[in-house]
This record gives sequence, C-alpha cells and structure tokens, in this order.
Amino acid sequence: MSLRVALLARDHRSLLAAFENEEPELLTYLRRWALRHQERDGLGRTWVAIDEVAGERRIAGFFTLAAASLERQLVTAGDLDRLPRFPIPAVLLARLAVDRRVKGQGLGTWLFDEALRKTLVLAAEGPIGFRVLVTDAKSERAAGFYDRRGLTRLTEGRWPCRMVLGLKALVGGA
Amino acid sequence: MARFQATTNVVLDEELDALREEMGLRENQKAELLRELASMAAWLIAQARAGRTIEARGPSGVEVFEHPALRSASLVERLVLAPDEVERLTTLLESEVAMSGALRGTLSRLAQEDCRPPELAWPA
Repeated sequence: MSLRVALLARDHRSLLAAFENEEPELLTYLRRWALRHQERDGLGRTWVAIDEVAGERRIAGFFTLAAASLERQLVTAGDLDRLPRFPIPAVLLARLAVDRRVKGQGLGTWLFDEALRKTLVLAAEGPIGFRVLVTDAKSERAAGFYDRRGLTRLTEGRWPCRMVLGLKALVGGA
Repeated sequence: MARFQATTNVVLDEELDALREEMGLRENQKAELLRELASMAAWLIAQARAGRTIEARGPSGVEVFEHPALRSASLVERLVLAPDEVERLTTLLESEVAMSGALRGTLSRLAQEDCRPPELAWPA
C-alpha cells in the first residue's frame, strides 16, 4: 500500500505539473494558488494524496478545507423566530479532485472521508465550533457524489449547487 | 521555457489586442489599455477587500465573480444564502438527528479502524 494523504508542502511543488484533471480551474488552483493560500495568506489548507508508482511519487488527488460563514441574503421578519442564528460557522470543502487517470477507483470517496474525518476532529476538539460542512457542487455529477455521502442540497435549479452536512449530531452535540 | 514564454506572449498579445479593440482604443494606445485594465482590477480588489460579493446579474441568473487572488481579502469565506437556501438549511438543522442512509454509510466507513486507501492502477 503506497497511497497516503499529506498536507501540501513545498517539496510537492515538483509534482504539481503532472496532476491531470478535466477542470482547468482545479489545475490552476493546485499549481498556482493552493500553496500560496496555505503558506502566505493563511487561507485554506490543501491535502494531497501521494501515490508511489515504480518509485516515482505522484499526486493522485487533493482536497482543500477552509473556514467559512453561512450568511443570509435577506431578513424576513416573520421567519426570525424559526431561523437559526446567522452567520453560521462552517468548514468549507473548497475543492476535491482526482487525477483523471485514476478516476473510478474509489479515491474520491477516500479523499472525502479524509476531509470529513478532519472536519469532525476540528468540530469536536477545535478551539472554535463549526456547525456545518459546506461545499459547492459544480455539476449534477458532483452533486450526486455528495448526495451519496449524505450531504443535503440547499440550491435548486441553478449551479453551483450549495450542499451541506450538519455536524452537531455527528460530534455528539445533539 | 523560452518557447513556452514566446507562445504565451503571442496569446497574451492577441487577448490584449482584442480587449483594446473592445474598449475603442487604437494600436498605439497600449499604455492607456493597461491603465484601464489596472483600474478595473483595482476596483475588483477593493470590492473584495471590503467583503463584498461581485456578481453579474441577468435574466438567466446570477454569476458570482470568483478568482483565487481575491480570496486573500478575507480569511473566512462568506457564503451568502438565497432565501430558498436559508429555508432548506433551517429545515435541515431542525431535523439534524435523523440521519439518511447515505450518511450512515459514510459514518460506517469512518468508524472502520482498518480503513485502507484504495490501491490505484495507473495506465501504462
């Protein structure tokens, strides 16, 4: 077994160019912004799945987590009592991608599980609370992936589709 | 590398020329073009630093302008929910204890101590 997940670091820079994905935005993010956001700007953190193929390291996939707050566009007076208190602190699964050459082999699920595991540890033991995990699915295929892992669609009829997973019950706060 | 840069520069020049024409500037007005582009970029950055969402609204919906460079303006990503999204989120948070089968499956995987990563087969 050679696959392992690691926080993106400078010694991974030589591996970034070989990562392949159909979405140019994901490639640009990984190659140009992920390390900068992490090290210089203190924004999201990116974890990479490193595989070893005949002694050669390859990035097989990655995911990025960031802090987010869910805020509401409009306040409707009649709903105030029922609505939760906004803004709601959230962990944003900002990106999750798999190298196109190894799609369909369970890596996306494994990366999602890793991201959720880190989110649950943060929500349960971190210095501040997080109420939900949130992600923006860019396509029906991506939304279906998150459907099958228990996330709920908030957006209907437009893209990206915002999807959430409540964390309170999962970390024993229910 | 030099060839890559040359190709890139050609593409960039073509894009800049198209923008110049779009903005009604002549060929000898590249400095003005860059000034215009810089002022537009400065406006976008200023809006992001003020914590504002930059959107394009049209009959078919709203497109949010996103660029990784603008994200450094805020350490916390502000995700603004539309009223229908707020409604669904409220319902979800009210019934959070009731877990779906899909979520139970995910939690079951997480609970496995022997949770091995997949063995990947790369094409030759």
